[in-house]
Amino acid sequence: MDPILWNDWHVVGDTAALLHGETFATALLGVALQIARAEDGSVGIVQSDGVPVLCDVRYGFIWACLGTPMQPIIDVPELAVEDMTAVIGGAVSVHASAGRAIENFLDLGHLGYVHAGYLGAEPETAVASYNVETLPGGGVLVTGCEVFQPNALMDNQGVMIGYSYKVERPLTAWFQKILLDSGTLVTTAYLFAQPVDEDHCVAHTLLLVPGSAYSAADIRGYQQLIFLQDKPILENQNPKRLPIGPRMEIPILADKTSIAYRRWLAQLGVTYGVVREAAGVPA
Amino acid sequence: MLLYDNAMLPECYAVRLLSGLLGVELDLKTVDCYPGRQHREEAFLAINPLGTLPVLDTGDAFLRDWLAALVYLAARYDSSARWLPTADAGRLAAVQEWLSIARLLQSSAGAARLHDSIGMATDIERRRREAHDLLRMTEKHLWFGERGGDDWLVAGAEPTIADIALFVHVILSEEGGIARMPYPAVRRWTERLRRLPNFALMGGVFPMPALDASRTLLSETECQAASAQSATH
Amino acid sequence: MIASIGWHPVAASSDLPTGHVYQTQLEGQALAVWRSAEGEVNVWEDRCPHRGVRFSIGVAVGNELQCQYHAWRFASGSGACTHIPAHPTQKPAAVIRATIFPVIERGGLVWTRVAEDHSEGTVPLVRDGVVMRALPVNRPAATVEAALLAAELTGATFFVQPLAEGQSVIRGIARDEASLRTLDSALERLRRQLEADHAVI
Ligand code: FES
Ligand SMILES: [Fe+2]
Repeated sequence: MDPILWNDWHVVGDTAALLHGETFATALLGVALQIARAEDGSVGIVQSDGVPVLCDVRYGFIWACLGTPMQPIIDVPELAVEDMTAVIGGAVSVHASAGRAIENFLDLGHLGYVHAGYLGAEPETAVASYNVETLPGGGVLVTGCEVFQPNALMDNQGVMIGYSYKVERPLTAWFQKILLDSGTLVTTAYLFAQPVDEDHCVAHTLLLVPGSAYSAADIRGYQQLIFLQDKPILENQNPKRLPIGPRMEIPILADKTSIAYRRWLAQLGVTYGVVREAAGVPA
Repeated sequence: MLLYDNAMLPECYAVRLLSGLLGVELDLKTVDCYPGRQHREEAFLAINPLGTLPVLDTGDAFLRDWLAALVYLAARYDSSARWLPTADAGRLAAVQEWLSIARLLQSSAGAARLHDSIGMATDIERRRREAHDLLRMTEKHLWFGERGGDDWLVAGAEPTIADIALFVHVILSEEGGIARMPYPAVRRWTERLRRLPNFALMGGVFPMPALDASRTLLSETECQAASAQSATH
Repeated sequence: MIASIGWHPVAASSDLPTGHVYQTQLEGQALAVWRSAEGEVNVWEDRCPHRGVRFSIGVAVGNELQCQYHAWRFASGSGACTHIPAHPTQKPAAVIRATIFPVIERGGLVWTRVAEDHSEGTVPLVRDGVVMRALPVNRPAATVEAALLAAELTGATFFVQPLAEGQSVIRGIARDEASLRTLDSALERLRRQLEADHAVI
């Protein structure tokens, strides 16, 4: 088993989806899990043979680690910021690997098509050059992305948006959107992709919107709309696993983020839910 | 009119879709049913004791069934009676028959999709088999329809609410593990619908660009000519 | 029934209206089949070389196929990428192309071959007639072929397209329009028997 993912924390549910006294079944890295929430609110996770699994509840999510955690659960500093509306998007299962979902979350080139009229629009489909760096502790930091968005604020007003992206854990991605002209923060978003097995994941999103101009239900509705636009793309990618070997799919300059993400996974030695050799690509 | 709405549900989409095609403005109120479970809260149950979405508040009544909402919108706002042929007994009955099939698709393909995407409990293999049986029947109907020059479920020059009702579940079927590859005539029919002017989308439904007038479907003779040509290569 | 080596019908000519991308499989190979505005038929691997998205969820625009993910466009005939909207002013590198398969349109059917280890093989000469509705069957091609032979249906020539493991499609050319419905029903009966013999309980 892939030690990198086995010994990492993964979101396996959100507390909103699990009322007190309920149990619910999921899977992580191919291991079936039963999550139970006692009447007192405490959460426990067991495997099908009853063996307990290391778990924690944080940021409204239920976290699990099947092995020995190499690092603590990822920090979400935005939650400490005052006057922030935090919304959990709702878990959506996807018939694609977690890596494919993360890569899609980081992808600029699809905004004008898959999210046409919301996060992009023709003819403004050119992806201007942006910066990609390696984070000090490993991982990918992307800055300087500029995108025209026709309906980024749910008001049908076009605005220029600046994006930054970050991947600090193999299956967690982060972005921040600001209004380019004023620098005002629009949204911060996290995608925690739960690797159910090599070909399936659950997308858990956390959205942080400053102020209280939008209701949680509206933010969630918008997020679900956007994610549902991506879902059939992800489910129609072949192979389902993310190809991370060289020369396996054809990237272009606009895919610098994806190139860096794939390369980082390869360097880390991630093997689960990815394809490393071109020969391994199923027809 | 106010629609109690949710972005994930095909039944809500059907109502938005038809209102768009009819040019009827709807006010939308998002009910956060997943994961918020607002459809189980007292406030919503007071409107719809069934706890289902959508609900169309017409001002006079709450319509708690998506197919009823389609019937209402068409009967009230489509003066040409194109979408619901009330004056033609045969076509009206055919529309009703397909609406019943749409209901069966809701409980098969629709349930399979909710199972696969948000974990709703159901006998998934059985739901998929039921949906495939319905799609096989629809495929045969549409294929012979195409041969006879009929583009839509109910014979006639124009689509009806039956097309809308089936479409929303058919087009999302693959999210429930129900492939559409075996149903080429169904796939073409979904494209014809998506090329209608003012055709609204939901997440999971891809747009279809309008065909140029100059690039209409090849006629049978042109197909044969093209076929003869490429066979000689 | 005619057994052909290598070449199989994978679509009917009438399956390919302008703008449409037909989805099928042959011997496990996913295929996207489409006709350009000029009438040229293409059989391509159903996979965009960029990020692996199925071409069959895309659209044909004029003489190009447009992928649904990032809207790259690929030319009819060569499969060469012609346009990348993320870099609209640059000419796409010549290496970016769809994987294409050979095509012959004959008898109202679109024929192709995907296996490389065959001797050349040919597309059979087929009698003129009316192309029947393709009938997918959840049984292996060999089983379906045997059942078709045993059924001794007359009035049509049949071909069995092997899709993937345990799945096939019966295609046929009927002698005349009048027999289309009868033959279709006969094939449906055959399918019911074949699938019932193998029903999951
Ligand atoms: S995957 Fe086809 S254009 Fe990107
Ligand atoms: Fe997206």
